Amino acid sequence: MRVFLLGLLLAATALAEHTSNWAVLVSTSRFWFNYRHLANVLSLYRTVKRLGIPDSQIILMLPDDMACNPRNAFPGTVYNNADRALDLYGDNIEVDYRGYEVTVENFIRLLTDRVGEDMPRSKRLLTDDRSNILVYMTGHGGNEFLKFQDAEEISAFDLADAFAQMWEKKRYHELLFMIDTCQANTMYSKFYSPNIIATGSSALDESSYSHHADNDVGVAVIDRYTYFNLDFLETQVKDQFSKLTLGDLFDSYDFDKIHSHPGFRYDLFPGEEQNARNKLVMDFFGNVQNVEVDTTWNETAWREDLVRLGRLVEKARKRNNATNPIDSDILSHKTPSHSPMLGTDRASEVRMEDGWTKQMIGAAALFGGLGLWGAASWIDG
Amino acid sequence: MIFRIFLSLLLLLPLACCSDYHEKLLLRPLPGNALLASFNFRSNATANSFDEQNFRYFPRSFGQILQHAHTKELHLRFSVGRWDAETWGARPWNGAREGGTGVELWAWVEAKSDEEANSRWLTLTNALSGLFCASLNFIDSTRTIRPMKTFEPEGLHPKSMLPNLQLLHGVLPHEVVCTENLTPFVKLLPCKGKAGISSLLDGHKLFDASWQVMSIDVRPICHGDDESNCILEIEQTVDMVLDRERSKRPRDNPIPRPLPMDQIECDVSKPYHAEDSCYPLEKSSEPAWDLAEIFGRHIKGDCPITGDDSMTVCVNTQPERIINVFTNPEDQDFGMKKIPEENLTCFEPPSNGTDFSLSFPEQNMTTPLPLASPRIHAFRSITGYGQERGGIQAIIQNPSSTEPLDVIYLESLPWYMKPYLHTLRSQLSPPSTIQPIKETYYRPALDRRRGTHLELKLHIPPGSSLTLTYDIEKAILRYTEYPPDANRGFDVAPAAIRVLPGPNDAVDEDTRRRGIYVRTTSLLLPLPTPDFSMPYNVIILTSTVMALGFGGIFNILVRRFVAADEVPENKLPLALTALVARFRGRIRQVITKAMGNREKTE
Repeated sequence: MRVFLLGLLLAATALAEHTSNWAVLVSTSRFWFNYRHLANVLSLYRTVKRLGIPDSQIILMLPDDMACNPRNAFPGTVYNNADRALDLYGDNIEVDYRGYEVTVENFIRLLTDRVGEDMPRSKRLLTDDRSNILVYMTGHGGNEFLKFQDAEEISAFDLADAFAQMWEKKRYHELLFMIDTCQANTMYSKFYSPNIIATGSSALDESSYSHHADNDVGVAVIDRYTYFNLDFLETQVKDQFSKLTLGDLFDSYDFDKIHSHPGFRYDLFPGEEQNARNKLVMDFFGNVQNVEVDTTWNETAWREDLVRLGRLVEKARKRNNATNPIDSDILSHKTPSHSPMLGTDRASEVRMEDGWTKQMIGAAALFGGLGLWGAASWIDG
Repeated sequence: MIFRIFLSLLLLLPLACCSDYHEKLLLRPLPGNALLASFNFRSNATANSFDEQNFRYFPRSFGQILQHAHTKELHLRFSVGRWDAETWGARPWNGAREGGTGVELWAWVEAKSDEEANSRWLTLTNALSGLFCASLNFIDSTRTIRPMKTFEPEGLHPKSMLPNLQLLHGVLPHEVVCTENLTPFVKLLPCKGKAGISSLLDGHKLFDASWQVMSIDVRPICHGDDESNCILEIEQTVDMVLDRERSKRPRDNPIPRPLPMDQIECDVSKPYHAEDSCYPLEKSSEPAWDLAEIFGRHIKGDCPITGDDSMTVCVNTQPERIINVFTNPEDQDFGMKKIPEENLTCFEPPSNGTDFSLSFPEQNMTTPLPLASPRIHAFRSITGYGQERGGIQAIIQNPSSTEPLDVIYLESLPWYMKPYLHTLRSQLSPPSTIQPIKETYYRPALDRRRGTHLELKLHIPPGSSLTLTYDIEKAILRYTEYPPDANRGFDVAPAAIRVLPGPNDAVDEDTRRRGIYVRTTSLLLPLPTPDFSMPYNVIILTSTVMALGFGGIFNILVRRFVAADEVPENKLPLALTALVARFRGRIRQVITKAMGNREKTE
């Protein structure tokens, strides 16, 4: 009885919680002088990885190559601080979208999972209605838009609609949206789907500033808002058992340090500001491995499942064994001659030395025509 | 119980006998203080175990992709940099484990029709793009060709399979190669960079190299026509040329700074030699170097599953070169073997994760290390000027003074670079009456659908150099087709050149199957690019013209003009006078009325 009650209790708590964590980390700037935007996003990548989100659940978008850029004096390395204590690129990194792949279209397709059938799993956001997602974006933006690679823009409306579609498709449980760009707070102003907490680095008509530059790298290495976010995450959130809340994180923002007014949006979250601020930092930056246990659980159904699974395995094994001889059977009937479709979609041989022959044929045809004309006019005359 | 263990051992035996793993590292100091490090990892699986998805050393993630895409043989290359053949001599593996700058992929896909092959190729490139974190999904129909003569299957396929195999080839010359490509590459290895020679693979050094290639080759080896006898072999290689001087710089301070004067050997015979001026002398001795210093880490023991040949680290130097072995903890047992006729010294690193390294002191050598000379030299460049037309010039040299050279020259050009085939000219120097172009295979480009495929069979007499030229036209792209960095130019894939085996080539079966290849450098084609802020300017200008022009004309059309003296001076007094006049009129009316009444009464 006690066990049953405990199970019920666990199930009840699990129902309100998420069972997986995902992170979508997007830098939208190309070119070497935007080094800091890639460093921003890689810093977040290192942080969520440190707090337990595996590479398979992180979608990292890097529009340019900074680590192996010929201008980089530190090959294979990206730093977010002039002290160069931490190499963000490290030995183990998986970039899911890079270079020209980072476009508005691909980003929205990723969020809404409207992708082609050949899209590999590592490039998809395979979330469900029990997944908490951290969406972090950085780049150059303006009032209600964010530039992608200096070539196109995503607007606040596009982003709001993409999140709405995600909610309709049950693709997230709760979502934390962070953005570090100029006039960042305008980007989340159009959101209208529930369970989203949003924060940005700067208010309307306000710039977001870089923190400092490294003289040997030659450019600024990190932005202020991200720097102080990381400062909090590195110094306060030491491990995955941290009980610090988003309220603690948001309270650590300081205009004197960031030089712009960070904004927050709680009204979409159930329970609004109170509940949103009480969410744990680890709910978005860390990883959980909760399992939902079905309360109507009985012995016989479980055994039946096992038997059915065994049958499936058996069938698959049989099929596998059966296909091999059949395959080779089909193939053995084929004669090892030239394939019939050869030549339809291939380069064909050009005879360059035929030039003179072709000209002779042309001349002969011309003179033949002239002769016919002459003969006809002679008969006519 | 013992019986069961025995039984399971017995079951394992046939598996163990046919799937094995080999690794080898070859180090060769090159002139100019360079060092060639050539890593080779090879393992295999029987066709049966592969079909049943029993993966042992063959990487599962990769194997499943091959099965899903029905790929029977695959070659994948990630390359950066240029091999300096003039200084470094012949290429490792005769160029057979090289690709063009960026990413190059070619594979034999089993398919019954071209459409099926295309769709499987698409599946393959997409899956590989996910596995290797590279934009391989950009290999679409415009970058895919079906080479005729350049590539031949390296594996021994069952004869019944051959008619159904289709070769597809794609290149991405613009693709950058970086740590995110090395990470999955190392994960495919059985020891995963934790032990054995793969523990030396570090992105920070690999991507600092003057030239580097990562390659993956999968090929079946079937003896006879029986498919059950097949094994599937996967070979991974990493070749790199490191600058020894640059690699020794500390990682957090790699900016080159001049040495202190007392550490430089000066030429004192120079007239300006003084305390503060020095002409540095080139060192005649072989400089000292240390494996751990150059790679920034030690070899972490041997990979315990390595097969019979456990002499995994080989150094290609003169036999008299002094080699010091370092192990940590000290005095561990390691194997060593000298092969003087090949100038090789091989080592077997100690087991159990012991740190292992080699160091070479500074030494005066009497004989230089012989370097094999390359079979062929090739250069390619863009000629001409202007935004509309240009030309391509390729120079292929045969350095041999006795042997003629038969080569296949392959170009896969993007659709926006349109060659004129009738302008193709070949010229031999010294001049000769021989027609060097023997065969031509050509498939013209279609806008936005496919690229040009040009393949030539060439004959180059001994000691000659062949110059190929043709004209090209540059296409104008649509506004949205330009990449974000269009002004940088568009990368054109390198030409691949295969040297056909001559009658006097005495090479073993394996080398012959691999072939001899060389690739030119990639080209940067400048296309006419619009001023991308132009649409914005046009909008701004149009709006201004509309506002000024239309606004002005509209204003003129609807306004009524009156002469200046007709205009009352001020509106407020006007209204006031009108009011006064009205008031006065009213009064006058009242007065006249009153007068009239008076008249009546009077």
